[in-house]
Amino acid sequence: MLQAGDWAFVVDNLDYLLTGAAVTVGLTLTSLLLGFLLGFPAGAIEVYGDGLAERFVSVGGVVLRGTPIVVIMLVLFFVVSISKSAFVTATVGLGLRSAAYQSQIFRGALQSVDEGQMEAARAVGMSRFEAIRHVVVPQALRRSMPGFQNEFTIVLKDTSIAFAIGLAELLTRGYDLFTQSGRSTAVLEVFVAISAIYFVLTFGTNRALDRLSDYYAIPSGENA
Amino acid sequence: MTLLRVEDVHKSYGDEEVLKGVSFEMDRGDVDVLMGPSGSGKSTMLRCINRLTEIDSGDVWLDGTPVYGPDTDVNELRQDVGMVFQDFNLFAHLTALENVTLGLKRVLGVPEAEATDRAADHLAQVGLAAQTDSYPAELSGGQQQRVGIARALAMEPKLMLFDEPTSALDPELVGEVVEVMRDLAERGMTMLVVSHEMGFARSAADDIHFLDSGRIVESGPPEQLFQRPEHDRTNEFLTGLQSNGH
Ligand SMILES: Nc1ncnc2c1ncn2[C@@H]1O[C@H](COP(=O)(O)OP(=O)(O)OP(=O)(O)O)[C@@H](O)[C@H]1O
Ligand SMILES: [Mg+2]
Repeated sequence: MLQAGDWAFVVDNLDYLLTGAAVTVGLTLTSLLLGFLLGFPAGAIEVYGDGLAERFVSVGGVVLRGTPIVVIMLVLFFVVSISKSAFVTATVGLGLRSAAYQSQIFRGALQSVDEGQMEAARAVGMSRFEAIRHVVVPQALRRSMPGFQNEFTIVLKDTSIAFAIGLAELLTRGYDLFTQSGRSTAVLEVFVAISAIYFVLTFGTNRALDRLSDYYAIPSGENA
Repeated sequence: MTLLRVEDVHKSYGDEEVLKGVSFEMDRGDVDVLMGPSGSGKSTMLRCINRLTEIDSGDVWLDGTPVYGPDTDVNELRQDVGMVFQDFNLFAHLTALENVTLGLKRVLGVPEAEATDRAADHLAQVGLAAQTDSYPAELSGGQQQRVGIARALAMEPKLMLFDEPTSALDPELVGEVVEVMRDLAERGMTMLVVSHEMGFARSAADDIHFLDSGRIVESGPPEQLFQRPEHDRTNEFLTGLQSNGH
């Protein structure tokens, strides 16, 4: 049960937990960034590409989406050993998996932009690439905001899976706190505390992304 | 002087032959109207002129340039052919002004300040000087279509194509768009217009081409076509239009 002494223990070690939270935030950002850098072009290739590139991307996506993230992480760390750094490995694992999902967000968003937008751009003499870049993509990015926001929350929470490869993020630090200090009575308090931190992070970032999305919304357009 | 020559154009979609040898010519400054029943190939014909759709056989010349020539750059060709769409197709994420400047900047390489000036002039010309900063979703259909016209005009095309520019509009908004088109015609723009607006056709058209099942069955000036159509199909169609209150 919750006890005042155990709360004091959590408070005393708050710095330790918050350092873990900082790693969690850092890992979320690097993973999402990698996911965006790979996922955005992948989504575009699925829509506009043909032949080999399109097949490669869609098969890669299916494999990544079909594999549990823990398995991806363990394979990258212990089997392939892409890096000695757990942080780098976790970034690659979460980033690749996120790319597979982000590609679907962008694919859907690109496809949802009316055909007429492309035609109008081509009709004034823009090349296909210019039309995609200046007309289709800016609209697709706006439409992918809700999906991206969702993805942000998922990746933030899934950073806890880096626990499996021993990265000292929030969950790992929480776990270490009561196992290594012998303070096993504080289990519940520690978990309440880290859940609260996760909640503040997801809630806060979602709010921030809402703001961003409103800021870029087209006046009296569909997202307004 | 011939500006547009369309010669024996054929186009099929799968097994369906949509254009079955269409030929006509327009001189510089001509205003021609293309009429015909739904599915007769009017939109397809327009789109074959700026190559949004590719023909199967035949030829199209614009100002002496073979539109389908092996050395013709489609993107350069399209700078000379403005197009106005039934559903406006304004760039939804850009203001009225930006809709007009985009082509100027990205296609013609006009510097920002000059593009803004030119776009503002074109918007003023279609009566939208006060709406430059509005987004398409904030404009009425008639205003959107006028932005669409300004966007096409800004490229200073040799030929303007209109595909049913007023048929998506509420009746009370048709007039303002027709007004702009009539004004454009008076200032000498060469225009090929798919429209069933009898008023516009009667007052502005040099020739009307009646298209039926992929063929031009009859062409002639409005008085002739409206008063003494030679073909039963034309007569039937026009009678139908009039009884529908056009
Ligand atoms: N991209 C396409 N793929 C397949 N068939 C098409 C395509 N575009 C047009 N068609 C067909 O070609 C025929 C002519 O179409 P088109 O749009 O040119 O007619 P239209 O005269 O403009 O008709 P409307 O008055 O309804 O606009 C129709 O039967 C149509 O279904
Ligand atoms: Mg049509």
